[in-house]
Amino acid sequence: MAADAHSLAPEVVVEFFANIMPFKELDHETLHGMARHVKVDFFPKGTRLFHAHETEISHLLFIQQGGVKSFIIDDEGEVTLKDYRGEGDYIGALSIIRGTKASLDVETVEDTFCFLLPKAVFLDLINTQPGFSQYYLKSFSEKFVGTAYAELRRHKMTRRGDENLYLFSMQVGDIVKQPLRKTSADSTIQQAAQEMAKHRVASLLIHQPGLPDEIIGIITDRDLSCKVLAPGLDYNEPVRCIMSSPVATVLSQSTCFDALLKMMSSSIHHLAVERRGKIIGIITSHDITLIQGISPYSLFKEVGKQQTIVGLYPLSKKIPEMIRNLIKEGAKPGNISRMISILNDHILERLLTLLEEEMGPPPVPYCWLLMGSEGRREQTFKTDQDNAIIYADPKNEQQGRDAEEYFTCFARKAIDHLVECGYPLCPGDIMAVNPKWCQPLSVWRGYFADWVASPDPQEILNATIFFDFRAGFGKAALADELRQQLNELTERQELYLLHLANQCLAGRTPLSFFRNFIVEKNGEHKNKLDIKHQGLTPFVNFARILALRNGVRETNTLARLHVLTQEKILDESLWAKAVDAYEMQMQLRIIHQLNQIEADIQPDNYIAPDELSELEKRMLRDAFEVIDRLHGVLKTMFPTP
Amino acid sequence: MVCDTELTGLNKRKDEIISIGAVRIVNLQIQLDQTFHRYIRPANINPNEATLIHRITPEELKKADSVQDVLPEFIEFCDNSLIVGHFVGLDMHFLNKTSRQVLGGTLSNPGIDTMRLARRFKDSGKTDHYGHHDHASSYTLDALAKEFNLPVFKPHDALEDALQTAYLFLYLLKKFKVGGINSLKELYRAGRIRA
Repeated sequence: MAADAHSLAPEVVVEFFANIMPFKELDHETLHGMARHVKVDFFPKGTRLFHAHETEISHLLFIQQGGVKSFIIDDEGEVTLKDYRGEGDYIGALSIIRGTKASLDVETVEDTFCFLLPKAVFLDLINTQPGFSQYYLKSFSEKFVGTAYAELRRHKMTRRGDENLYLFSMQVGDIVKQPLRKTSADSTIQQAAQEMAKHRVASLLIHQPGLPDEIIGIITDRDLSCKVLAPGLDYNEPVRCIMSSPVATVLSQSTCFDALLKMMSSSIHHLAVERRGKIIGIITSHDITLIQGISPYSLFKEVGKQQTIVGLYPLSKKIPEMIRNLIKEGAKPGNISRMISILNDHILERLLTLLEEEMGPPPVPYCWLLMGSEGRREQTFKTDQDNAIIYADPKNEQQGRDAEEYFTCFARKAIDHLVECGYPLCPGDIMAVNPKWCQPLSVWRGYFADWVASPDPQEILNATIFFDFRAGFGKAALADELRQQLNELTERQELYLLHLANQCLAGRTPLSFFRNFIVEKNGEHKNKLDIKHQGLTPFVNFARILALRNGVRETNTLARLHVLTQEKILDESLWAKAVDAYEMQMQLRIIHQLNQIEADIQPDNYIAPDELSELEKRMLRDAFEVIDRLHGVLKTMFPTP
Repeated sequence: MVCDTELTGLNKRKDEIISIGAVRIVNLQIQLDQTFHRYIRPANINPNEATLIHRITPEELKKADSVQDVLPEFIEFCDNSLIVGHFVGLDMHFLNKTSRQVLGGTLSNPGIDTMRLARRFKDSGKTDHYGHHDHASSYTLDALAKEFNLPVFKPHDALEDALQTAYLFLYLLKKFKVGGINSLKELYRAGRIRA
């Protein structure tokens, strides 16, 4: 009797385990027996539970109350979120079963109480209880794919047949094969060319004369043909005349994915690899393509090579597939939208170039503007067209008529081709094919001035779409001029910004959001949450208003917030919270859309709350609290009497 | 060692202990394999409101062991631990009274009161993020568990109350650790019961 009193497992533990798999399958006696060995620990919010590759795991942790996030910190300190776990979830099983140290970093995201099951007791259950090991192995294959990738990334294990993984697993430093080849800036072009021929390399770094470690430029075989042979330059000129300077660099511990993004966004094919402040070699787009097989980059290159517009159709339809791979490999939402933007931009560029060739050169320079999410580089899978044409003011009436005729036809054809490429028409008719949005610069200046001067609700709606414009193709200077004008207009117009702020605040979501879900009441999306309008738009609006107020030229939401923080307009801690909240919601949205595409459903922004885990719901609620704080900032900036 | 007692009433002279629950904390972790939970047959079985609250029937109490049997076991379980309890002065009063009667001496273990710790914690302003901290707030175990958002146990069962207190203690301890209390001595100063 006395012994029993000491060893009886408290009801609360038994109840907890009796409700979770696979423990609920245990017989009464085994369950009570194992529950006796359980300990309870408490970890305040922000406690680091595991350090990846360091922490020895002595207990399997079950979350009684609270929540944790798991993440990976790469060598550059970049953090990638892997997973959230909440009540009833466990941590550490994989490592215990495999006898390894923690494979992920784990930190509590709120005050967390855990039940600790000693390793030995757990392993005993695995060995003696049928179904137990099977349960864990099965959930690993489903839930822990991310962990497996993380390990892969660390150990750079080879995996045949899944070559895309290299993009994330390989570091740039690992694919530098050739030793560094360099020559003095004073060498002649001929000496440099001989050097390249001798070592059979296509590029050469150029250093400061007498200072071999000070790299100041680069030449490539293309420079030799374009800058020397073609214009007939004297081979005895110093090589510094033809070098490109400065050299674009990438850190040796960056992943190939990062290098790829850099190459694609700057259209540079050679990057100098830097390790501890020293250049150790060169990587080229070719190097990455070689290790990669079918990849975003090969798609990018194929697009560039296309000689017909029709040839672009199937290529652009490969983008979702590409994105799916990136998500599975664990790319961050921010990077994914950047990649989508780069690929879309590239297709647009090729398409319009070919169209220009087909129609002959335009009578006046023009710029193809991208607006809305495209303008902000925040596309996900669903990419409606939001575009416009701005062209230089014609010199006379005849030129005006020519321009109107040319661009009307140009826009119609471009939009049709874009539809064929898989970009649906804009339901709001904000497209270059609409005569209103295909106008010379002076007319556009007039539009912007009018919108800012007399804000009515429709104009404000325009503002949210048009003010996030950027140059998509053509003469970017036209777009720059418009941006300059807009900044001058809005920086002075407190009243206008007040209207924008009020509209933003009017769309405010109450905090009781999760207690009684703000979901669609009727129709097709009944009882679902519109994550774009309820969750993401407030961040976008907030960033836009502050950007306009402070003359920030960026259009991307995270970039806007970043600039605002650097300029001390936005509080550092609020910025960090806003980035987390925004990215978390982006991730939910992208994964939601990915699932829809896999199920052959047209992607949308409606998330069913039932399908979210408890923790995801809580994270979402936290995100909405951040929205509240952002609105608080707006209210302070624009006090209403 | 975190403990809680259930009593027949709050009269310090007349009332008696009818149940003791306790759980041990080692290395700042609650050891669920080291719990103590016993009913005690009181000298006066008087089915009053207090026993009803505890959901212990007079029949159960009649079957329970005598205090002469249970107390030595409890003292053995206590060993030389620090005794932690919620408003533990009351528990200590009854434990010592009983101990004097049964064993002719009192417990020498030092005691820490989680109610006093909670007050110190709240006064230190560390609860601001709860937003609803007001000075009229209650310091009962239930109220604190709710305020700090702790897992909730069945009230008025000695073991569950001891567990609840242990959770509260762990919570305060670790939160204090963040807030600057690092040694057991500092903690003892913050939460010791009056001599």
